[in-house]
Amino acid sequence: MAPEPPLLTMSGITKSFPGVRALDGVDLEVQAGEVHCLLGQNGAGKSTLIKVLAGAHQPDSGEIIWRGEPVSLRSPIAAMRLGIATIYQELDLVEGLSVAENVFLGHEPTSAGFVVRGFAARTATAELLQRLGHSEIDPSRLVGDLSAAHQQIVSMARALSHDVRLIVMDEPSAALDPDEVDNLFRIVGDLTADGVAVVHISHRLEEIRRIGDRVTVLKDGRAVAVGLPAESTPTRDVVALMTGRNVEYVFPERPDKPATAVKEPVLRVEGLTRRGEFAPVHLELRPGEIVGLAGLVGSGRSEILETIYGARRADGGRVLVDGAALPPGSVRAAVRAGIGLAPEERKTQGLLMLESVTRNVSLSTLSRFSRAGWLDHRAERAAAQQATRGLSLRPDNPDARIRTLSGGNQQKAVLARWLLRGCKVLLLDEPTRGVDVGARAELYAVIRRLADEGLAVLLVSSEVPEVLGLADRVLVLREGSVVHTADARELDEHRVLDLVMEGSPSA
Amino acid sequence: MPEIPATSRRGLLFGTAAISAGALLTACTSNEPKTEKQPADNAPVADDKPGKAVTIGFAGPQADHGWLNAINVNAKSRAEKYSDVTLEITEGSNDTAAQIGQVQTLINKKVDVLVILPADGKALTQVGLQAMKAGIPVVNLDRIFASPQAYRCWIGGDNYGMGLNAGNYIGEQLKDKPNAKVIELAGLDNLELTKQRTQGFDDALKNYPNLRKVARQAADFTVESGQAKMAQLLQAQSQFDALWNHDDDQGVGALRAIAQAGRKDFLMVGGAGARSAMDAIKADNSVLKATVLYPPTMAASAIDLARALGQGKGVSGMAELEIPASLTLYSAVVTKDNVDEYLPTGFN
Amino acid sequence: MTQPAPPAQQDAPMPAAKSTPDKGGSRRPLGLRMDVRNLSLLGVLAVLVAVGGFTKPDEFLATSNLQLVLTQASVIGVVTVGMTFVITSGGIDLSVGAIVALASVWATTVATQEFGFAGILFTAVVVGVGCGLVNGLLIAYGRMVPFIATLAMLASARGLALQITDGKTQIVTVDSVLDLGVRDAYILGIPPLVLVFAAVTVIGWLVLNRTTFGRRTVAVGGNAEAARLAGIDVRRQRLYLYLLSGLCCGIAAFMLIVLAGSGQNTNGNLYELDAIAAAIIGGTLLSGGRGTIVGSVLGVLVFTTITNIFALNNLESAVQQIAKGAIIVAAVLVQHRTLRGAGEA
Repeated sequence: MAPEPPLLTMSGITKSFPGVRALDGVDLEVQAGEVHCLLGQNGAGKSTLIKVLAGAHQPDSGEIIWRGEPVSLRSPIAAMRLGIATIYQELDLVEGLSVAENVFLGHEPTSAGFVVRGFAARTATAELLQRLGHSEIDPSRLVGDLSAAHQQIVSMARALSHDVRLIVMDEPSAALDPDEVDNLFRIVGDLTADGVAVVHISHRLEEIRRIGDRVTVLKDGRAVAVGLPAESTPTRDVVALMTGRNVEYVFPERPDKPATAVKEPVLRVEGLTRRGEFAPVHLELRPGEIVGLAGLVGSGRSEILETIYGARRADGGRVLVDGAALPPGSVRAAVRAGIGLAPEERKTQGLLMLESVTRNVSLSTLSRFSRAGWLDHRAERAAAQQATRGLSLRPDNPDARIRTLSGGNQQKAVLARWLLRGCKVLLLDEPTRGVDVGARAELYAVIRRLADEGLAVLLVSSEVPEVLGLADRVLVLREGSVVHTADARELDEHRVLDLVMEGSPSA
Repeated sequence: MPEIPATSRRGLLFGTAAISAGALLTACTSNEPKTEKQPADNAPVADDKPGKAVTIGFAGPQADHGWLNAINVNAKSRAEKYSDVTLEITEGSNDTAAQIGQVQTLINKKVDVLVILPADGKALTQVGLQAMKAGIPVVNLDRIFASPQAYRCWIGGDNYGMGLNAGNYIGEQLKDKPNAKVIELAGLDNLELTKQRTQGFDDALKNYPNLRKVARQAADFTVESGQAKMAQLLQAQSQFDALWNHDDDQGVGALRAIAQAGRKDFLMVGGAGARSAMDAIKADNSVLKATVLYPPTMAASAIDLARALGQGKGVSGMAELEIPASLTLYSAVVTKDNVDEYLPTGFN
Repeated sequence: MTQPAPPAQQDAPMPAAKSTPDKGGSRRPLGLRMDVRNLSLLGVLAVLVAVGGFTKPDEFLATSNLQLVLTQASVIGVVTVGMTFVITSGGIDLSVGAIVALASVWATTVATQEFGFAGILFTAVVVGVGCGLVNGLLIAYGRMVPFIATLAMLASARGLALQITDGKTQIVTVDSVLDLGVRDAYILGIPPLVLVFAAVTVIGWLVLNRTTFGRRTVAVGGNAEAARLAGIDVRRQRLYLYLLSGLCCGIAAFMLIVLAGSGQNTNGNLYELDAIAAAIIGGTLLSGGRGTIVGSVLGVLVFTTITNIFALNNLESAVQQIAKGAIIVAAVLVQHRTLRGAGEA
């Protein structure tokens, strides 16, 4: 079948965001009727690539050839008109509209150009749902009343309601039960038999083996392998491709002192649970120690941190700081006991984006700069400056607006907040997300220094090398359970990836 | 560092304070006036010998204004005077749909006669027609229905006449003064009745070539707006001779503004006939010298008419065997000379 | 500086800072940032003053007119200060007008008036705070959306006000209250109500810009989740904010009683819209996270000045309304231009 040109060819696609080069000359080639899998670690550029393909992002450079013709995808509508439909991980359905209204949102069948023919839309929707094997979904029901799996089907029906030639699915199986996944794959099989191409993004290697034809691996914004055969390429090779780095992070030296078991733990977590999020977790954290939690998105790692912090109320178990149990579900109690959190979503959970560095740093310590409620601005500013200088935050201007800072410096402001507060336990959730490569090393050094000075650090990261390079001990999570605990030096990246993906501690 | 200590003690203090404040406050909602005079104590339209028992249904708007409250009070106290009258009074409402529902309920209850003061005359015409078709005579109070078929008898005030009488009174008072300046503090400008009052006032002023209206601002029947608009008018007009204010409720605010500005150099005429205005006229210690009536006693008269309709009587003192189809009340000018006569009809 | 001894390791991470003196020169005074924002409103106000002075020089530019404009601005101004706090925290209070009405009628009943000046003042303030407390509890602890909770309060408070008055105008006979509104009570030519307004403004500014309370308000409005995760008691802060708004309404109700010499259930009509409009025009973000008391007060003054100029020129009600709408749009457009020009977002 050589003479037929590929359905889609993307070549040399680059895309930069402030401080990050998300795509750095990516190539991708998709044939009609194939399932093309896109693999890569978090931050490798998968999401950016599919957003370029969906017309949601405009590439800085590169070429897109669609059925032999160069095209530019200026908007999601332009992409849809060509026959490219995207099903995002976060479903973009309108919950207050019915199934049929969602399916035909933006291209409703009309009479005289504006009167919506509701019956026609419902009939067509029913046909689409039948084709997807879900004729039990009523086209007039509200989407908000449907289960996650059914919403996924509606999303799919919406994609098919266009004259679609390429469907992009971003981790479609993440929210589905096993038998629903089976049904999804059956649909994918039907579609490809009809000549529709599917670009499939998944973390689950076994899925790729089951339905994939070819695999493209992304890493650090580049395609490191294009079009590998999905069935025959060994898992080890795929993992090696995903992890082999061009940029080696410089991790700070671990202290020479042996295991810190001599000290009393400052934080003890005993059987902490939240139903549906994670199974009972036990861990101990000693002063000067960095413990890493490794796992995929959805493995419960962020939830564990937030539950320790009291931002989520535990269903069971206890959190003890210096031997004293914290009341569940109280952030204030955790903060008072000396725990600090640098949350995963810095902008929405950590910072006041309209405010200055000073005001962000002092947020947890306001009463220290006040007498009877009156703030001493000079003292506040001086303390914030001192704290941020200690972390070499740049620019060295406490009046700078936080939103003008780079991701790494914003993260330092969050750390400075807790240093100013004088906390004993620091919970770091994806501390280097959105931080460019150069600034990471500096952040790692800061975190290690804080530990050396006696802080206990609990680190969550989806970047395995980060956990391995920075932490002293590592807990590997898979689907809410700790599947492995080990000294970081005894683990390597392949081993951890095997653990988080396959779950079995294969040798 | 403990953030804010001793929350509980403060909370307790606060709680105690709140409870005692609450106890004191509830005692303060009482509004019992020291002396309550029954208004409308004059002779009835029809003779008041007990006759056939009549059930009168009464539907009016929400009494959120002194005059409307007086309408309710007048209707109720009048009905109480008659041993043969039962009054079915609905919860007042400003919502047209709600009022239609209330009238329909009264129709279903098969009352003998209906008295309706519509929130909006045009909008309630249909329900008036319904009642008439069902054989229930309707006394339409003040705000007139769109069709004469919707009522048996209309009784109401005369907005145009109010303006006319106010204008003529001012004209007479100032007729010897050359180049006299007059200002007008109108009511809510998007109401038809405000336009009618202003029209009447302007027409009356034409009778007096020495008078000139130099300013007009519209308040909205509230004390607050009366104070604000009057204060601005006083600032705008450093000298004028007479003021007509459409409504005595907003006049309370207007009088406050006048007192606050320390102005005494003109004559003020009010409108509607509030008790406070009449008291001021009687005391004769402010600029307010007169008020033109828009008498809420019309509600009492409406009860009289309804009773007469129910009993098949005519108006006493008139040759007619039947109740007239329409009665327009006269907007009398109340001054110091005749205020005692009208004082009982003044409303709060 | 940091008096309460911080934990031991607190000093350690920042050895470099100890020797570095605070370079105060680079510091931008806090007021300056707001000035850019408010400058455009001052410009609008200046244009209005020019228009007023041009069309009615004798009446508009008189001292008595300045006193009048400030007096008319004072009641809604006090309400707007409270509203500014609530909006800055990301909330909204639709019940302010109704609370003013309820407080003003409750404080002018025959029974309350028997307690004289103190009784009226006390009742107005406590009723305001009480309504604010209910709002705050419903929103902070009942997890109701502020829009709905305060809308419910709007309906109930207006209803209760009507219930108390029966639609009657409650005339105040307590002379000590009435006397506050007349010319003899002016202090150095300043009406007492204007003094109250000025005091509330200054206190409001200090609280918003100089206290932990103000800072927490901004934090809750800017990013409630970040504030919560930073250990701030977001719910308690919200409770206090609606309490504060209620307090301002209570004070405003007392001022209105002085001004109008009476209590009426129709008092405070549409204050909620006027206060929100003034705050937003002043530069407070409707989405929260940024608030300016000075801007809000300027917003109120713009509105009051417009009304004053219209009345002095004897414009018809219809023309007044059309022009008012146009001026609001113009003011906001001018402000956006100025902001863009000044490089602010």
